[in-house]
Amino acid sequence: MITEESVSWDSLLQDTRARLAAAAPYVQAGKQVAAADAVKLLEAVLRPGDKVNLEGDNQKQADFLAGCLCRVDPAQVHDLHMVQSVLSLDRHLDLFDKGIAKKLDFSFSGPQAGRLAEYVRAGKLEIGAIHTYLELYGRYFIDLTPRVALVAAYSADRNGNLYTGANTEDTPVIVEATKFKQGIVIVQVNEIVDQVPRVDIPADWVDFIIQSPQPFYIEPLFTRDPALITDAQILRAMMVIKGIYAEYGLQRLNHGIGFDTAAIELLLPTYGEELGLKGKICSYFALNPHPTLIPAIESGWVRSVCCFGGEVGMEEYVKARPDVFFIGPDGTMRSNRCLAQTAGHYALDIFIGGTLQIDRYGNSSTATATRIAGFGGAPNMGCDARGRRHATSGWLRCGEEYGLQQEMTGGLPRGKRLVVQLQETFREKMTPGFVEELDAVQLAKNAGLALPPVMIYSDDLTHIVTEEGIAYLHKCADMQERMAAIRAVAGYTDIGLQEDPQETAALRKRGIFKTAEDLGIDPARANRSLLAAKNMRELVHWSKGLYTPPARFHNW
Amino acid sequence: MTDWQALQQKSFYEATARERANGIVDAASFTELAGPRDRMSSPHLPALGEAIEFDDGVVTGVGRVGKHPVFVISQEGRFIGGAVGEVHGAKMVGIFQLAQQAYAQLAAKGADSLAERLPAVVISFETGGVRLHEANAGLLAHAEVMDQIQNARGKFPVIALIGSKIGCFGGMGFVAAATDLIIMSELGRLGLTGPEVIEQEMGREEFNASDKALVYRTTGGKHKYIMRDCNQLVEDSIGAFRTALASALQQPYAEIARCRRIGSEALVDEQLALAELSCEIQPQDARDVWAYFGNADAAAIPEQTTADFLRTVRRRP
Repeated sequence: MITEESVSWDSLLQDTRARLAAAAPYVQAGKQVAAADAVKLLEAVLRPGDKVNLEGDNQKQADFLAGCLCRVDPAQVHDLHMVQSVLSLDRHLDLFDKGIAKKLDFSFSGPQAGRLAEYVRAGKLEIGAIHTYLELYGRYFIDLTPRVALVAAYSADRNGNLYTGANTEDTPVIVEATKFKQGIVIVQVNEIVDQVPRVDIPADWVDFIIQSPQPFYIEPLFTRDPALITDAQILRAMMVIKGIYAEYGLQRLNHGIGFDTAAIELLLPTYGEELGLKGKICSYFALNPHPTLIPAIESGWVRSVCCFGGEVGMEEYVKARPDVFFIGPDGTMRSNRCLAQTAGHYALDIFIGGTLQIDRYGNSSTATATRIAGFGGAPNMGCDARGRRHATSGWLRCGEEYGLQQEMTGGLPRGKRLVVQLQETFREKMTPGFVEELDAVQLAKNAGLALPPVMIYSDDLTHIVTEEGIAYLHKCADMQERMAAIRAVAGYTDIGLQEDPQETAALRKRGIFKTAEDLGIDPARANRSLLAAKNMRELVHWSKGLYTPPARFHNW
Repeated sequence: MTDWQALQQKSFYEATARERANGIVDAASFTELAGPRDRMSSPHLPALGEAIEFDDGVVTGVGRVGKHPVFVISQEGRFIGGAVGEVHGAKMVGIFQLAQQAYAQLAAKGADSLAERLPAVVISFETGGVRLHEANAGLLAHAEVMDQIQNARGKFPVIALIGSKIGCFGGMGFVAAATDLIIMSELGRLGLTGPEVIEQEMGREEFNASDKALVYRTTGGKHKYIMRDCNQLVEDSIGAFRTALASALQQPYAEIARCRRIGSEALVDEQLALAELSCEIQPQDARDVWAYFGNADAAAIPEQTTADFLRTVRRRP
């Protein structure tokens, strides 16, 4: 029998108070803690087994706090359960090497994918699950709520109001989940100011602010130098514009990262203009501020861009185009990955991106047997949003063409998101882009994962574009037909060599497979002279000097 | 092959070796010699399991600029970074030998005819120097080309064009320095040790090779023009390079030879004085040197168009 006294409804709060009291000796004026005391502060507020969010976003990194966390005494702080969207710094994995952390729930680990797989094999790290961004944010509010969050901001005032600016990214969702479950929020800031430009996070959600000795690290992840775009990428981009964007009149899009989509962006003001498509396609984007989108914006193609994060060097340009980007009352951009991913899941008609491997059924993945790379946001945008209930013409058209529509809904009208994969039949080092079985299957066995990490499932994929042409997979009536359409675009890979020419001819007749010629595209025209900007400097010119590329891209 | 008119507009930086070879001489005058059909490829690469090219990464041939026979060497950066191996080097040397023969034939016809129709060797550099897969042969090739340049001295001009993606580095940086005249675009880069190698050897603090703006300030066309390592700076088009080459060939040979940066005691003294100056002013960045030579707004130089730059720049006296 439970007695009245034994029931406590605020144990979290009491525990938090005890931790804050332990931290009190290190607190200076207001909520400030000296950088030199940061390690001691962490030792005071962390307990073994805590769920901890160490802000590692797609771009912004709480790198100073990551370094401090690596220096806590593992005898005192150990077996932490890290819940964070991106693993990109060496320090993120050093924590597991030192025994400070044990378990990991995450979304994306691009640069650390190899080391992560190695640690899993060595038993240094236990993976909870590999999530999409939205999925992980969702779990912050269900069963992965951080007890302590270590986040990053550009500036704070003395009360702890934060300015996170163009690279707000994950901060709001992390802080909200943590603070409203009585957790502790520690922030590293580049500077402490009298007044922040605007309040992105209110002071009473923040417990400690630390002025970091160095500004937080941020990666120019979405910058692609047009000088590196190849003629093959330009050909695929022409096919996409004419055979997909124009065909379906697509106005609401997300472009994945990469040179293929950069080529599409740079063809809008030239090839797109020539086809008379301005205003008919590509008006709204959920997209980071890609520098390669500048010519299309300047030519009046783009009405609105909702950003997941910022991009180094684009700050002034974005600020000067408030009609296009989401700008705060202070005049600078705010990105919010959680909201932008929601937009990406529900409000887009098409996702288009690249991948490493597509299997013969049309499942695709960026995982290889020795790399656990994760997903980021691609699966949420690269899927049919089943909860969607608003109609647009392209979405409806794709639904009408859907080969299984009759079977699934009895003929009731229902649209379908276009999910397009751009693929080279052979990638770098002649590795085939089409395979019998995804490496993800072997990886799941190696790493003991319950689920092979598939980026985009076959039933969501509607189109594949290779140098051979476009496969309109959603039009297929069954898996046999779908596999034949994949063989048709798979070129000289082992999958492609199994193609039956008669079968392909039949698919071509039904518009399930189209070559560049079928689309009225002359492959000889697919060369770099079609690009609206051929190098970084021309992007700067297009931006009227507002875009300032980071040093590594300033190649003049 | 794109037609010659279109080539004139094309970016020299983006052009292939064959496009450059065709575009820098008069229309339809280029004949490729020892071309891909002759299949002179590297005997060493197959042993290492590496791919070969039938031209071994260099286009060689002869064309005309006005009345001058122009012997062309054009390196292709897309094949092993334009690195020089045995066959590549032999083709370069072969072109010099042809130029020597043409010179001898024209000289036999008398001084007037020779001056009017003086041959030239033009090298469009795009290379990182020695091809490491066949390093000894590649090094030997460098020495042989150097030798050929010395043999050409006092006879006919050897002209360097630098404005391609890879730039001109390694041993070929020495070779370029030994030519009579260097024409660059601001995108051209010229140096000995490549940026990545400097970083590797001296540390990132000394030279951060991923800082592309720094790389251009240190090795790019504008800097080389200010320092007079480059004689002429032109816009980035094949046509602009061709025009500069054509007007250079209208000069008497003695005028062209005056552009040399090495090869006399006076020039050695000049280089030594420059080394002393560098110890004296201790520049931390190329901008310090530009400012020292009288360019008040040195920071603005990289952003200037070539035309604006040429209008306002102050070069080393």
